[in-house]
Amino acid sequence: MSEGTSTERPTRARHPSGGTFDFISGPWQRLPARVRQWAPLAIVLAVAVLYPYIVGDLKSFATIGDFFPELDAAVYILVFTMMALGLNIVVGYSGLLDLGYVAFYAAGAYTAGWLASGQFQEVSFHFGSVGIQRDTQGIHVSVWLVLLIAGSFTAIVGILIGLPTLRLRGDYLAIVTLGFGEIIPQVVRNGDSFGGFNVTNGTFGINPIDSPGFGTTLNDAVGLPVNFQQSFDKFRLFYWGILVLLLITVFCSWRLRDSRLGRAWIAIREDETAAAAMGVPLMRTKTWAYAIGAFFGGVAGAYYASFKSGAFPSDFYFNISVFLLCMVILGGMGSIWGVLAGGIILSWLNIQGLAVIGDKFNDAAGTNFEIAKYQFGIYGTIIVLMMLFRPTGLIPERRHKRELEEGVHDETFFDVSH
Amino acid sequence: MAALIRRPRPRAISLVGLGFVFLIGVWLLVNLLKDPERFFTVFLIGLTTGLVYALVALGYTLVYGILQLINFAHGDVFAFTGLLASTMILTVFDLTDQDSAGVIILGLLGTLVVVVAFGATLNSLIERVAYHRLLKAPRLALLITAVGMSFIVQNVALAIYDVNFRRVPELIPRSDVFSIGGVHYQWNKLSVVLITIPVLLLLTWLVRSTRQGKGMRATAQDPDAAAMVGIDVNRTISFTFALAGGLAGVGGLLFLLQFNIRYDSGFELGLIAFTAAVLGGIGNLSGAVLGAVVIGLIQAFNEGLTWATPGSDWTRSIIFGVLIAILVFRPQGILGEQVADRA
Amino acid sequence: MAVEDVLVVEDLRKEFGGLIAVNDVDFKVPRHSIVSLIGPNGAGKTTFFNMLTGMYPATSGRIVFDGTDVTNKPPHAITALGVGRTFQNIRLFEQMTTLENVLVGMHARLKGGILTSILGTPGVRREERAARTRARELLQFSGLRGRDDQLARNLPYGDQRRLEVARALATNPKLLLLDEPTAGMNPQETAAFTGFVGKLRSEEKLTVLLIEHDMRVVMGISDRVTVLDYGEKIAEGTPHDVQSDERVIEAYLGRGAA
Repeated sequence: MSEGTSTERPTRARHPSGGTFDFISGPWQRLPARVRQWAPLAIVLAVAVLYPYIVGDLKSFATIGDFFPELDAAVYILVFTMMALGLNIVVGYSGLLDLGYVAFYAAGAYTAGWLASGQFQEVSFHFGSVGIQRDTQGIHVSVWLVLLIAGSFTAIVGILIGLPTLRLRGDYLAIVTLGFGEIIPQVVRNGDSFGGFNVTNGTFGINPIDSPGFGTTLNDAVGLPVNFQQSFDKFRLFYWGILVLLLITVFCSWRLRDSRLGRAWIAIREDETAAAAMGVPLMRTKTWAYAIGAFFGGVAGAYYASFKSGAFPSDFYFNISVFLLCMVILGGMGSIWGVLAGGIILSWLNIQGLAVIGDKFNDAAGTNFEIAKYQFGIYGTIIVLMMLFRPTGLIPERRHKRELEEGVHDETFFDVSH
Repeated sequence: MAALIRRPRPRAISLVGLGFVFLIGVWLLVNLLKDPERFFTVFLIGLTTGLVYALVALGYTLVYGILQLINFAHGDVFAFTGLLASTMILTVFDLTDQDSAGVIILGLLGTLVVVVAFGATLNSLIERVAYHRLLKAPRLALLITAVGMSFIVQNVALAIYDVNFRRVPELIPRSDVFSIGGVHYQWNKLSVVLITIPVLLLLTWLVRSTRQGKGMRATAQDPDAAAMVGIDVNRTISFTFALAGGLAGVGGLLFLLQFNIRYDSGFELGLIAFTAAVLGGIGNLSGAVLGAVVIGLIQAFNEGLTWATPGSDWTRSIIFGVLIAILVFRPQGILGEQVADRA
Repeated sequence: MAVEDVLVVEDLRKEFGGLIAVNDVDFKVPRHSIVSLIGPNGAGKTTFFNMLTGMYPATSGRIVFDGTDVTNKPPHAITALGVGRTFQNIRLFEQMTTLENVLVGMHARLKGGILTSILGTPGVRREERAARTRARELLQFSGLRGRDDQLARNLPYGDQRRLEVARALATNPKLLLLDEPTAGMNPQETAAFTGFVGKLRSEEKLTVLLIEHDMRVVMGISDRVTVLDYGEKIAEGTPHDVQSDERVIEAYLGRGAA
């Protein structure tokens, strides 16, 4: 996705060492540049959109069929991948080590809990909600609108957290964000009596939470589903819903990266003192990174809460922040394709992959090893190994630019003369 | 190389900070007057816990002083040593509260030696394997690696000890050492003091007077200059990690004797100890001890006093609140000097 | 109406704890001139620069740029007012391309915001196109044509120095601060660079303030030379005057060399 690509065939770039895939890359290089640029995206998009139709067939394959996620797991995967993209803006683009991203997830989820459930029994306010009787107590706003509100509210939370935090140096920033990532869930857990007022329903959480939908009018007119949760193909609808949200997130990330703000973020990441000297206002720019990263986290959190029809304090804990960080590191800091890959791989491992791999291993070896129990050890190992051996990630940022360079350059991420 | 120095803090923020401290003072005073016996009992508990935290806080501050790295894995090393101590006590030495004082003391000393060695080795190993190659890398990379290491250590402990809490029998009796008015102080608490104080004195001597200690201080101040005068910076760094790990070992044993430990106890305890180090002034050894004692007191007061007290549900948030407040209002901590950020 | 002196510094002082790095220095830079700041290592020249650009807060004193008091303003604000700088040890954005490095320099001059960037409005597109054109012009002017998409970290040393200048020029400065710009250059490169600085003044109408150690550059191009030693101004005048000043010779070579 580079800017200024010409349609003429570029000069053949010299391949980096390690020609394992030369039999593919040979013919691949001969396709016109436009095709090469957009083909991967088109293929992935097609597979993603059609997945609900083919998942049944995929799962029927012997042995490898078990590895394909069912649609509800797929929703989980896409939700967390979306959050990883949000974190990518903070960590990947701007270089701000945020260890408390789970706070944004919680803020989004609870916004959905406040605005689309029976939590606030004192009032009865309906605005575009679907599938609920008009006289039900509570605040019931259309979930689509709630997503927007959740994102905005979470962005504000991000700005508030950022005010004291973003002026701090890297390691302190990490610890303080970790602190907020801990405080907010604890606030949520103890939130059943703030001055006698039940805000978060404490350890019981808020449930049920309303479902997204298009209402009866649109259903009569164009056949759009009234109410996701009550539809017979509920999981497909939720799946396509999060797919759209994810694509929007990808689009925004992409556009921002090649914009004035995106350049400012990366400059801050590379050398914030020099960035300031070049006219980039540090606090303001970092706060924007935080706010936008938080926005996407909030939207994802709200959508997932609606999907699960609940928001519970036990959903939010520190390890999730590290889990998301691991996705960004594995995929490649600042790399959209990378974070997509890292997000999908790790979320899949978490929700299904580790269990399936564990079972297959146990069946084959006759052991009783609960591999899923050690998942965070695995993620920790991934982080350390990536940092030591491939800090640019699976799909490094800037890869497409490197292909245009003369010759092969040393892949060291760390300038020895630093 | 240009460094960025923080601007002078606006007055308004300092006033808010001071106002807050004042409120705390009032709260303590009221509690003291309402129930002095309880106050002093809680005070002594806080002091004692604080000393245990000090041992871990020192580990953070030593490593930070020399590398400007928050060693996230340190808390987990601490927990691991505590778990190992439980194995030593329960399985290897098979100590029970029925054993004679002599046997118990010997057993505990043996355990102490083992866990100190283990802590030192584990911490050095982590540095060699993970951090060493990244010393010249951007700070972000090192920090992220420390987070990853933390989880690895935790999960190794998990693999060995599973999710259960480990505790040891009451090897040191809870009978009173003294009891003034209604204020009691038990033997098991005194033992903490009896062990920690000599360790701290030993550490002070080590840092002040030995060659290794001087090497550490020199490297902390200016690694390039230290290298130029012939100090083996790499050895010094390894030594510092070993020292920090050894201190964590002592802390782990002492903590185990008071409370119980689990594979993930290190996370919360590590954060508490790190907050203590920052509170006292990161990089400053006396600061770490002072900060730890203050944090121990804060925790004890929060969980033990009765008037207008948030309670143990809020301990974590309060500690983090302290951390955030310190970093915003007075980042150099109580004892630190205002230091220029390295670029 | 333009102020006569682009930069006026009054009684500027910087203390680090007990150490006085810059000691009540008065300093003026006339518009369209080229001024060199020289002095032995550790004289406080870079500290002085860092205060001018807002990176260090001054302990006391005043800095007035183009009629505006900029003392203790944050760096990005001072840059927006028209002060550009390069760094003594190159501080490029290594993972960004040559073109992007220059584009960052334009940050304060561009307007693209979040929503407009995401939506790709015609206004933003136009602005980005114009910015890229200007960036390429600056790169060409600085002798870096055709390397737009190369990563900054892969440029040879001399080109990195040029990129630093191009990037500083992108901030659209009235005053350009160059911190030891010829460090590590051979005589030919130095001569070329000296000519380049002259071009900056004559073609771009800039005012230039240099920190330099290379006396050929200082003598060759400066209208005026100011000498610092131990944070104090010990001499000021034309290159010729300063060259034969006793205190200057002493500062560089020690007593008894005058």
